[in-house]
Amino acid sequence: MICLSELRHQYYKFASVHIKMGEEMPEIVAFMKLALEQAKIAFDNLEVPVGCVIVMDEKVISCGRNRTNETRNATRHAEMEAIDGLLEEWKEKGLTKHEVVEMFSKCYLYVTCEPCIMCASALSFIGIKEVYYGCANDKFGGCGSILSLHTNTTTSDSGEDVGRKSYKCTGGIMGEEAVSLFRNFYELGNPNAPKPHRQPIQQP
Amino acid sequence: MSASGEKADSIRLPLRFSHCQLLKRFLPCSPPYTIASPVKPTARDLRTPQLQLGNMNKCEENKSWEIIHIPDKPPFPLHQQPTVKVYAAVIDPKHANTLVRKLNKILPLENLHHVKRVRKQDLNEGCIHLSVILCLACESESQLDNIPQEVVELINSYKLETFITKVCKYAPLSKEEWIEQCKIWPTSYHPPTYNIRGITGFSEEESNSVCTFMKQALDLAKCECQMMNAAIIIDPSTNEVIAEARDQVNSCSCCSINHEATSQNHDKLVLNSSATKPELLNYGNGVSCLNPWKWFNQKSCSWHPLRHAAIVAIENSSVRDKLLFHGNEHVADNLDETNHLLKKQKIKSIHVNDDEEVVNSQSNGRPYLCTGYDIYLVWEPCTMCAMALVHQRVKRIFYAFPNKSDGALGSVHRLQGEKSLNHHYAVFRVMLPQESFDECLM
Repeated sequence: MICLSELRHQYYKFASVHIKMGEEMPEIVAFMKLALEQAKIAFDNLEVPVGCVIVMDEKVISCGRNRTNETRNATRHAEMEAIDGLLEEWKEKGLTKHEVVEMFSKCYLYVTCEPCIMCASALSFIGIKEVYYGCANDKFGGCGSILSLHTNTTTSDSGEDVGRKSYKCTGGIMGEEAVSLFRNFYELGNPNAPKPHRQPIQQP
Repeated sequence: MSASGEKADSIRLPLRFSHCQLLKRFLPCSPPYTIASPVKPTARDLRTPQLQLGNMNKCEENKSWEIIHIPDKPPFPLHQQPTVKVYAAVIDPKHANTLVRKLNKILPLENLHHVKRVRKQDLNEGCIHLSVILCLACESESQLDNIPQEVVELINSYKLETFITKVCKYAPLSKEEWIEQCKIWPTSYHPPTYNIRGITGFSEEESNSVCTFMKQALDLAKCECQMMNAAIIIDPSTNEVIAEARDQVNSCSCCSINHEATSQNHDKLVLNSSATKPELLNYGNGVSCLNPWKWFNQKSCSWHPLRHAAIVAIENSSVRDKLLFHGNEHVADNLDETNHLLKKQKIKSIHVNDDEEVVNSQSNGRPYLCTGYDIYLVWEPCTMCAMALVHQRVKRIFYAFPNKSDGALGSVHRLQGEKSLNHHYAVFRVMLPQESFDECLM
């Protein structure tokens, strides 16, 4: 995770081009708010409240929310939904694989909770540019909490170059809002959880 | 696959090659390896595991199939168990109880629950020597300055003489490891508390089923143009095929299975696996989990970077679930009542079986995701697929070949040993007859 001062530094670098000085990371916060809106839609649909948006050239080009209960498929996380939506759209437009790779390399993901090990891997496979997340995911986090799949420090067993891709990952953006959604959700109880336990609230 | 013989007759299994022919297709064109001449299995042999009972082990091809449990932690040689340093002290047996109680309160041995706090040594002339672990020691330092204050107080009030010793870092996995560990400092050994069937060995019937399903997966993994990964999800209580899939990261028309979402329609399963042009097989490149970052380098008609076989199989199983149980969706407006009822039911169902996992968490017989199911994969899954299988609550994973580039079940990562995850499956590798041959594949 990147510390706040470094983030500010990035923001000012960024700000010199895009943002009015004086405001604090307004773009990042604005996009995270949109991700939180997606999470709220998930909540209203009795899903674990996680949402995300994918941004390219300062525009939201895709969004997704958790749909694991609805689909009976526990892999339908917000990130997977948003990525699949994009791929479908780009294929319809007739983009080639290499054009798609090029597009993904310009994409920023804003997600309310740290991507799990599955999603963190998927984001590396597609070659996303950068990820901002809300709260950390102490149980399944793949961007630092349990594994660090956003870095390319892991070497394959055979030591050969497998083309592993890394992406920059920054946590703690509106983490409290994300946590309070989780808290509300688990207060209600996940209707589809297998055992009568409550997952501990994840702290940012 | 169904357990009933009647249904079995209508099932056309995709296995059209003998296993040895299959091996030839895996290997480079001019193999320096000798492959035993195939005993061609008849369709009858392969139809159901029931028909093969007692058969498979006699079959020449199968005599060296082996199922190996891949444990939660990396294997260490018996005599090289990793250790950590601790402070210990010899104590007067009269004080043992009080001291241990106090120490456990002040400083319980987190992450070392398998280590016994007290060591009892029988010295000469029946003299008993007791030593107790005080706290962890710094790996580099040998000074006392990193001992917590409360422990220092105990040391002073009981006039203890401390020394540094080693204890084993991980709990023993076998009796042999335990005996070895106790030579360093006593530990306790608990055979696996969760009894997932297979960890302590397979019956002949079970291992025959495992081999049959792995063969089915191996056969599914090949098509005319490339070698892919394949996944088959099985309900081991009935041997029913729940779902199956191939990689869909890069596929051509020849690669697609005409897949019916429900397992009832297996007689309609069409597979184009009859080509015998090994020189055309572009070995390995087509296996998504081996090359998850290189999905864009291959020619194909249809593609999707994340549609690895396991992911597609999970999707197929959830489609089946929705089709079979579509009337049982939860309704939002009486959520409170539903929740209340569900919680009651879950509590009841947990007590049904002692050693098996709860298969049905809901009263209507609808399985919770893939709880209780097995998955067969030709290659060890990548991190994405392995985590997807955690999410979907698969019970056991069987794979044939390790994945050295991104394998998440022992090769690069070991998700089955990540304690923080909310679900843990048991992992097995099915070793094929020519042990060396998979090495050539990598």
